[in-house]
Amino acid sequence: MPSITKMIFGNGPLGPSIAPWIRQRPGLQKYWARWSNFYKNAAGYRQKGYLYDDLIVEETPQVQKALQRLSPKERYDRVFRMRRGIQQSMGHKQLPKEQWTTPEQDVRYLTPLIEQVVAEEAERAEWDYMTVEKIQQKRAEKRNIFSKREGHH
Amino acid sequence: MYSLAKLPKGQSASALKTAFRRSVSSKASSAGGVSVIGFENKGPAATSSLTVAIKAGSRFESTPGVAHVLKNFAFKATANGSSLKTVREAELYGGVLSSALSREHIFLTAEFLRGDEEHFLQVLTSVLSSSHFYNHELKELVLPVVQSEAVSAQSSPAALALDVAHNLAFRKGLGNSLYASPHYPVTIDDVKSYAQGAFSKSNVAVIGSGISTESLSQVVGAAFGSGSSQPGSSGLNTSKTSYYGGEARIPLDIHAPPTAQPTLVIAYGSTSPATPELKVLKQLLGGESSLKWTPGTSPLAQAADKVPGGSAKAFLLPYSDAALFGVVVSAPTSPQLTGLAKEVAQIIKSAGSGAKDEEVKRAVAKATFADATASETLEGLIANVGPALFAGGEVKSESFSGVSASSVSKAASELLKAKPTVVAVGNVNVLPYA
Repeated sequence: MPSITKMIFGNGPLGPSIAPWIRQRPGLQKYWARWSNFYKNAAGYRQKGYLYDDLIVEETPQVQKALQRLSPKERYDRVFRMRRGIQQSMGHKQLPKEQWTTPEQDVRYLTPLIEQVVAEEAERAEWDYMTVEKIQQKRAEKRNIFSKREGHH
Repeated sequence: MYSLAKLPKGQSASALKTAFRRSVSSKASSAGGVSVIGFENKGPAATSSLTVAIKAGSRFESTPGVAHVLKNFAFKATANGSSLKTVREAELYGGVLSSALSREHIFLTAEFLRGDEEHFLQVLTSVLSSSHFYNHELKELVLPVVQSEAVSAQSSPAALALDVAHNLAFRKGLGNSLYASPHYPVTIDDVKSYAQGAFSKSNVAVIGSGISTESLSQVVGAAFGSGSSQPGSSGLNTSKTSYYGGEARIPLDIHAPPTAQPTLVIAYGSTSPATPELKVLKQLLGGESSLKWTPGTSPLAQAADKVPGGSAKAFLLPYSDAALFGVVVSAPTSPQLTGLAKEVAQIIKSAGSGAKDEEVKRAVAKATFADATASETLEGLIANVGPALFAGGEVKSESFSGVSASSVSKAASELLKAKPTVVAVGNVNVLPYA
């Protein structure tokens, strides 16, 4: 489960989400799923043939890197959905009902990859800003060179 | 926060350290199916090294270039952590991780301060047992390096000529190129299946320096025994080597750096391992001076001295079932190279036949020294010991006592019977044909 700060300020490009918190509580999730489905259908992206992950803002370095990691088939399908969706938007139309995205088709194909990239960046940051305790110990143990000189005289 | 004090140090660390302090013997032994050998350093060296030799060089590859890719996949993400973690921890310990590829082996080497054996052995075993081989790592980390190594080899005429010479001489197997090529893309599945064949226990040997064989086999037995690298025999095959020979002429890459000189390789192959006679013959032809500011007395050096900036050096590349003997000739311009190459061809033709006893004696002394001094560096040691471990475990220095002027000239005439392998890199309009 992500930390509270992540839930409030967001997980990199994925934005804030309390979904993991809800998912840990089965009773709450059962109740919440209704609202979640209601929201997804009302949002209108399924009627234009998009998947939920197509809506993630892609103009960030992390998402760009994640997009590079898609398989060729996934990348092709994504572009196809975008072109089809833009056509529908321009015509102010919806797809015929049999072409709407079903909840089963609405797979999070990009989110795990974005999470992977974000985790890698976090790991790098952690290594970049680490402290080496041995070095600190040595520094603390080191005698002051000036006091040593005083001792000699 | 990470810290050095928090880095994994097993409970058995102190027991291990006492084990590592015990000493001496350089006889191979076997630890849980993995052959192992350790060499105690002379003198007060404070560093040790561990090398895993894997019999998975380019001659075994199923897809062209897969060995080169696998070599660069070393120390990437494993079950133990990401490649970043592996590298940063090695930096904290003050160690160096490297991997190298030859035609017969892949070498994974860790050099480190004495006392850190456990950490680096664990790094090496995790590479063998639990590398993830992520597709995105192949694209983002591995292939760019593979590409730049291949390009830099292409732009070095000597490296290119030797690579092509192997292909002409041995065609498949040993003739496979050391470098991946853009014409044959390597997929992650190719790498996975090649690694699975390569990382089996019978295919792996461990060489330690600054460590005795007993303590090394103790640790390796423990590390490899606990459910790491795949058991069973190697899944990699290679055909028996045969020698063909031939000629190739390649224009010098127009993008090559200005240091790239036109180069000609004249080589002869044999399908038996390198004999002491061939090692002596290499020193007899020479080409390398042992003194500063003088070309030396060897015939190749004398010939090269006539062309300013030219060089002609004999080489002998030993393999488990073959050897390639020859001369690399280079000169600043192609016409100069043509003149020098003709002279070198004459020297090779009469190689060994007119040698005086004292010349042979000198060459024997040089060969003995070269053989001994090769094992002083880590690369030389690994290159010598790795193949010996796979061949049966006996590691000994070459004996040159049976070499005489007549045996050298006999070996030379036998070698020169075969069809020559000639590779010319430069202005092919000017360079001579074989």
